[in-house]
Amino acid sequence: MSALSSFGVESMPERIQSEVQRAIQRSIKGVEYVASSGPILGSTPKDILSVRGTMRLYHYRPLTEEVYRVPILIVMATTNRGYILDLIPGQSFIEFLLKRGYDVYMLDWTAPKPEEKSLRMEDYVLDFIPHCVRRVQEDSGENELSMIGYCFGGVLALLYGSIFADGPMKNLICFTTPIDFRELKLFANFADRRSFDVDRLIDSVGNMPPELIFSSFEMLRPASRVVGQVQLWDNIWNDEYVKSYRMFDRWATDILPLAGEYFRSITKDLMWDNKLFNGTMSVGGRPAPLSNIKVPILHAVAEHDHIVPYDASKHLIGMVESNDKEEVMLKGGHVSLIAGANATKRLWPKLDSWLCGRST
Amino acid sequence: MADTDPLALWQKMIGEMEKNFNALANQAMTQPEFSKFMNQASGLAAGSQKQLGDLIEKYLLVMNLPSRAQVIGMAERLVTIEGQLNSVIELLLQIKGSGAPQTSPSGPTRPLRTRRPPTSPSGERT
Repeated sequence: MSALSSFGVESMPERIQSEVQRAIQRSIKGVEYVASSGPILGSTPKDILSVRGTMRLYHYRPLTEEVYRVPILIVMATTNRGYILDLIPGQSFIEFLLKRGYDVYMLDWTAPKPEEKSLRMEDYVLDFIPHCVRRVQEDSGENELSMIGYCFGGVLALLYGSIFADGPMKNLICFTTPIDFRELKLFANFADRRSFDVDRLIDSVGNMPPELIFSSFEMLRPASRVVGQVQLWDNIWNDEYVKSYRMFDRWATDILPLAGEYFRSITKDLMWDNKLFNGTMSVGGRPAPLSNIKVPILHAVAEHDHIVPYDASKHLIGMVESNDKEEVMLKGGHVSLIAGANATKRLWPKLDSWLCGRST
Repeated sequence: MADTDPLALWQKMIGEMEKNFNALANQAMTQPEFSKFMNQASGLAAGSQKQLGDLIEKYLLVMNLPSRAQVIGMAERLVTIEGQLNSVIELLLQIKGSGAPQTSPSGPTRPLRTRRPPTSPSGERT
């Protein structure tokens, strides 16, 4: 190899030509980017089964002539919108499940109204989830169901499963679910009881403002938003990159407020007293130790999760009493694990192979 | 080639800078002083934002105009009503078509719940 070629000089004219073309494309696509609204998300056909304030229960229309007997109820995290699991055709977890023959329901959330600031943890665990479970039972005609919880949705599913240990939950799947809240180190420092006056904040604002939640997520990687914008401009000629960026950016900025009392309980019971990890958690006076859970359980965690690091989630499998339990660590981050382009090859098939035999 | 391509080097440099800056900032954010400062600032911001929001809300009320939150709330309720209307229409169509509803309101035709896991060539379930 010549000295010139080792510096890439032979291909430099082509490289320059390509960069000029990209620069032109950037200008054209840049205008398109500003003028267009991005892909439509969450478009898999569904019906609303129940609405109660901040709570929504959806049933997705089956895509196969025959489905597994046991329906799935997905419990979404209360800070985020459920469409992350139903981005666009071909990159939708929901569509994947439907095509594999599952009957899928989702418990999703909208922004709690100011008058819903008094919703407490027990409203979510002892009322909303049991209500949705009953609606799924009525609608599907099946007594049992599998529950999937994503992130804090996993915490809610665990609390439900530990209190209603006698059923009807048949299987439990948690994605990136925190157990040891001390290990959410930055969040724990943000919510340090010596400086964070949660009572004063909630008493003055009512519901926890989404801007504050968004800022705390952003601060986990403070440089990433700026770098993301630079990379977007760099790749704006690439339609696939732009589409993906817009989908994830829209979702990441579409944060929901949290009901005030519910947030107070998360801060005091989980962030400060770490009750889930210590086994002292109770909801509405009902003890909710993870050791009550005996159903088959799968916990999927992400290797590069910066929101729920492995140290915070690794205790789950050891703490439940199930005989049939498995933890799987897959490449990816907190969001790409469940919705990224590689989820179609990693998490989704793994989940299907684990769940199909347990859904009959 | 990638080692000498100035654009690839630029991208690599940006990636490294991001990683280093994030790590440095995260380290600083673990200090108790940062938590104190941040909570003072965010408490102040949330308080003033709430006051401003309340003020605008009162102004809109006086002007007999809906606030953004009310418009969003109405839009969400409209979507819900639309969904429920669709369910009612489907149910009515089923009643009209067959004399009695064969399925629940949430879907036109329900598949059988008899699906079995696929079997591998060796006969084992996958």
